[in-house]
Amino acid sequence: MLEIRDLNVKYGHFTALRGVNLTVQSGEIVVLLGANGAGKSTLFRTLSGLQRPSGGSATWNGRSLTTGRPEVNVANGVAQCPEGRLLFPELSVEKNLRLGAFVHRRDASGTARELERVYELFPALVEKRGAPAGSLSGGQQQMVAIARALMARPQLLLLDEPSLGLAPLVVEQVFQAVQRVNAEGVSVLLAEQNAFAALGIAHRGYVLEGGQITLDGPQQALMTDDRVRSAYLGV
Amino acid sequence: MTLFLQQLFNAAALGGVYALVALGLTLVYGVMRVPNFAHGGLYMLGAYFTFAGLTRLGWPYLLSLLVAALLVAAIAALMERFIFYPLRDAPHVQPMIAAIGVLFFMEAAIAHPRVFGPEFQTMPSPINTIVNVGGVTVTGQRLLVIAASVLVVFGLNYFLKRTLTGATIEAMSQNRQGARLVGIDTNRVGMLTFAISGALAAVAAALIAPINLVSPSMGEVMNLKVFAIIILGGMGSVPGAIVGAFLLAFAETFGGAYISTDFADVIGFAVLVLVLALKPQGLFRRSA
Repeated sequence: MLEIRDLNVKYGHFTALRGVNLTVQSGEIVVLLGANGAGKSTLFRTLSGLQRPSGGSATWNGRSLTTGRPEVNVANGVAQCPEGRLLFPELSVEKNLRLGAFVHRRDASGTARELERVYELFPALVEKRGAPAGSLSGGQQQMVAIARALMARPQLLLLDEPSLGLAPLVVEQVFQAVQRVNAEGVSVLLAEQNAFAALGIAHRGYVLEGGQITLDGPQQALMTDDRVRSAYLGV
Repeated sequence: MTLFLQQLFNAAALGGVYALVALGLTLVYGVMRVPNFAHGGLYMLGAYFTFAGLTRLGWPYLLSLLVAALLVAAIAALMERFIFYPLRDAPHVQPMIAAIGVLFFMEAAIAHPRVFGPEFQTMPSPINTIVNVGGVTVTGQRLLVIAASVLVVFGLNYFLKRTLTGATIEAMSQNRQGARLVGIDTNRVGMLTFAISGALAAVAAALIAPINLVSPSMGEVMNLKVFAIIILGGMGSVPGAIVGAFLLAFAETFGGAYISTDFADVIGFAVLVLVLALKPQGLFRRSA
């Protein structure tokens, strides 16, 4: 289980996250709603060990995620598919995926198995396996980014804005893939501006505003909440 | 025609040496995003370590070369750890100045009368055979330079393209954050890249030193050339460094032979100015 307690993150004098409490139970999809600049990516960077918090704690199954060593977090089962994808654009799709399994580099057969699984999840990538990742369409690059994170065989997948800039049909494909991954036992924390699609697949959700959690609840409650409806669903 | 062929061999040997030195510099720039102005110093150390192995310890050439490469690799890795790593978040000008400081320190240390002294010295040529290729006489050392540099470049290419460790270097230079997110220890990759760049510079120096002379300031001259080369080829680009190296070597050699030796350096840098005027990003522009 992911347990975030009283998490504070500062950039100099600017407080990006203030007293954030959040949990993801094993097997859940939890959505984190919030506008641009609300602090979603800061939270994700912190959970991946790229950003040190100024206070509070974040643990996955009791192991601290705030040691400042991203490779330890990945090895402990927490992988991130970041906003903007951060692929290796000149390397082939397959090499991107193999690098996603870097923490399992001593387990070649396991990596080969995982490679088959992600190609099965995203069949569109099979024929692009030799192409430079940067040459793919936005939707396919997003698939590579998710697949690269899955190659680390995570127990918790942190998905930051996977629908950003994608066509509605592609968003649907991506979200279906996330559901399938979740059905196979991977917990998911999903940050989204596209609240409608995200709430559609989530079990629970949180609303992050100005670095603070202002609302949380199960999917149905958020779907019908007036504040969520007006701010994020546009109804 | 004989002159032409003669110059062709000279240019190929010079280009090979330039390529080895420039490749290390461009790899380090790609990974660290910092121009290592001390790179020429590593080259100079490589020459002196080989020189010391040959003349003071009486080792065979190949052993001297390998030990020099290992020593310089270690020094380069330490340089990353104790100079560039602590300055990783500082404004770029700070690591640059620190690197220049390291370069001067190395030169002063080597030029110290109790070490090697400031004067030019001749390294005994390990291969004294002269080979006749189609009416052109080429020294065995030049052929060795050409063959060895081609071998090393192919070896490096294999390492970067076919091994996972090599892929981490490319990954880090293409997206540092992405590399950290997949669990690549970027500190280790940084040190490794510096070590490789040091070894390449030392091998290049050990190869060319029997043809040229060794002197404490040889690194400064090489610095100028390899920076010109990687700017020409595109900062951080591996193929750019190779093409840039041979372009500069050919321009210098043929310019020197057919126009005037006094102008060899001028012609090389004229090519640089010309390319940058037409393609400011360098020949091999990096995406993103």
